[in-house]
Amino acid sequence: MGTEVSPKIDPSQVIEHETYELEGVDISGHWNRMFEQRVIFEYDVEQLDRVTELDGGESMGWCYQCSQCIGVCPVDIVGDYGPRKIYRKLQVGMDFFSSDDLWLCTTCGNCLRVCPKEVDMLQIMPAAREVAVLEGAVPAELQDVFEKTARYGNPLGKNPKRRTAWTRGLDVEVPIISELDRKVDVLWWVSDYPSYHPRGMEASRSLARVLTHLGIDFAILGVEERHDGDSMLRAGEEGLFEMLADQNIETLNKYEFDVLLTTDPHAYNSFLKEYPARGGEYNVEHYSTYLAARIEELGLSQEVGGKVTFHDPCYLGRQNGVYDEPRELIEALPGVELVEMWRVRQNGYCCGGGGGGMWLDGLAAEHQTMRLSEKRVLEAVETGADTLCVVCPYEVSRFEDAVKSTNNDGALKVRDISELLAQALGLASD
Amino acid sequence: MHSDRVVVVGAGPAGLEAARLAAELGSPVTLIEKKDVAGGMPIHADYAALTHHFRPASEAMAEMIDAVTSNDLVDIRTGTEITAVEGSAGEFSLTLTSNGSTQDLDAGAVIVATGFQHFDPGRETQQYQYYEYEDVITIADAEKMLKNGTFVTPSTGKPPERVAFVQCVGSRDRQIGNEYCSKVCCGISSKQAIEIREMVPDARVFIFYIDMRMYGYWENEIYWPAQEEHKVNYVKGIITEVLAKNGRLVVRGEDTTMGRPMEVIMDVVILSVGMEPSAGTRTMADLLGLPSNKYGFIDTDHDILDTVTTTVPGVFVVGAAVGPADLDDSISSAGAAAAKAVSMLRNAKVTV
Repeated sequence: MGTEVSPKIDPSQVIEHETYELEGVDISGHWNRMFEQRVIFEYDVEQLDRVTELDGGESMGWCYQCSQCIGVCPVDIVGDYGPRKIYRKLQVGMDFFSSDDLWLCTTCGNCLRVCPKEVDMLQIMPAAREVAVLEGAVPAELQDVFEKTARYGNPLGKNPKRRTAWTRGLDVEVPIISELDRKVDVLWWVSDYPSYHPRGMEASRSLARVLTHLGIDFAILGVEERHDGDSMLRAGEEGLFEMLADQNIETLNKYEFDVLLTTDPHAYNSFLKEYPARGGEYNVEHYSTYLAARIEELGLSQEVGGKVTFHDPCYLGRQNGVYDEPRELIEALPGVELVEMWRVRQNGYCCGGGGGGMWLDGLAAEHQTMRLSEKRVLEAVETGADTLCVVCPYEVSRFEDAVKSTNNDGALKVRDISELLAQALGLASD
Repeated sequence: MHSDRVVVVGAGPAGLEAARLAAELGSPVTLIEKKDVAGGMPIHADYAALTHHFRPASEAMAEMIDAVTSNDLVDIRTGTEITAVEGSAGEFSLTLTSNGSTQDLDAGAVIVATGFQHFDPGRETQQYQYYEYEDVITIADAEKMLKNGTFVTPSTGKPPERVAFVQCVGSRDRQIGNEYCSKVCCGISSKQAIEIREMVPDARVFIFYIDMRMYGYWENEIYWPAQEEHKVNYVKGIITEVLAKNGRLVVRGEDTTMGRPMEVIMDVVILSVGMEPSAGTRTMADLLGLPSNKYGFIDTDHDILDTVTTTVPGVFVVGAAVGPADLDDSISSAGAAAAKAVSMLRNAKVTV
């Protein structure tokens, strides 16, 4: 530091808010910056070096400030954030590993899509977060989820023995593979939220009915299933991911099946891209593509009607190139008109749940004018749709909360594609 | 058998200048052009005014063509391609193909002036929706309109109220594979912005850029006048997306110096596309055994003191076949190659 700052002001005590209300009065604005040191006296580029020295962190140093990333960063749209801004902050000495910026990225991958220098936040974020994890500098709400996942095998902290509770009283049979003692055509990887979350359970029951209607020879793992680990990896808990993946591979390798059917795009992503290197190679399919290939056999006959809009999950669309199949299913629903939001497919807007974001709503709220899921719901409402269709289990709960918080209760329904298909088949509903 | 002839491949600005000077120095020249008309990209792509002196391209190119046609030492073969090459410096034997018939031609030296092509903005990604929206055009498309003297919103045929240039499309991009700067697009966009402002005085014109690369006199001759006299608005921060909303284009990106996202309506979006090696440049590199760089431009020896000599003796390369080049660069390198080719042939003759 070249110059003494006035001792009357302790910089660490100065908080600047983008928007702020004090005793009912809006005092938003940059006036409060006056309490901060304005002059940059040093470019402490060591902080940038600390990131670029990491395995996977190299490309952080390649940014040439074109700012294409900011135009598509879902977080910047509701806050003040993004790869090129992180680069500049690192140049002026931000300690990334103890900064909130480390946790705001949802690893949605839209920045990498447009980056002319291939600055890869999908590599940078997990690498940098791992440092924070090892230093114990993880936001409490996420740390709690890491611990629950390690202990119970699911991020909700639910009793692993109750993983099949959603099948109880169901009008169709959902066999457990260990009880069958034979090969099945399809092993359905149900995932956590579809097993435990009330709305996820409803979607699971619908999917079970649809699979049964198709006459598919399927089974689930039941209590042997654990969290797939993908989001833990993106959130920086590589050790936890490895533990889960190895346990899951050991479980899966006990059984014979042709197709590993996933409900969750994050699980799909991991089975495709991460598990093979650890010895787990499976013929993995997401339920949307699996069902889209069977539209004729489904024989959708009951009027569903209405206007439906579709949200592309980042880990199904942008990360794995599946855009058309979910839309084919929606368009096959009798009487339904598919209406598109303006950020779709490759440019699909993130729901905020990826990369650990699912469990960082508290931290995100301190930096964002609204949740990403709320922004997305407003875009869905703008289309005039009555239903927001999803194919990712993170989304039903996120979007339903957002529908309520944006006062759109009654105006927009959030439904899993399985629920809509079950309705079009005249199958029982919950 | 020794040949005095200098064969120039490509009758664009660089090829025309190389042919003119070699003939002026007293060498017989054959100028080969694949297309039926000489003049190169400024003629075939309907350029309006040249950057940076705003001279009409057709007039300038007519002058260059006249300079070679008026010299009896230059034999211009249009509608002709080189399809095979044999021999070495001082005694090349070329096979020319024209209208399906072939002919042999001896050559002492070959000057490759096969130039560039405009980057196709829909080739790698559809980031800017070039093939989706009629009102998203390239600087090459804009030149055609400017040459015709009417600049309009293509979908409506009406003068635009708001025009945005997006710089660095297809250049400086690792994902696309063109990592180089195309050098001329900043100047051309600024030139076009001035022309649009003159043609449609009510139009607001914006140039969204990463860095404005207005080297040398382009700064004071184009950039400053564009901003100061013609009220062109420069905004630092590149556009990421072009979307359609309520029938108009919306450009989205970040205004980086303000540190704020921007989402503004435009009538016309002009993509400032960069340069790539032309098909002719790739073909000539193959036929002559010239090494190319990873982008497909022909490598010189990479001695900064010699910008035109290739690794194959007797073969020189000029203009945008070497890499992105403006007209000044192209004309200069053409002159250097003509002088080197002629002197090489004379010296060889003396030795014999």
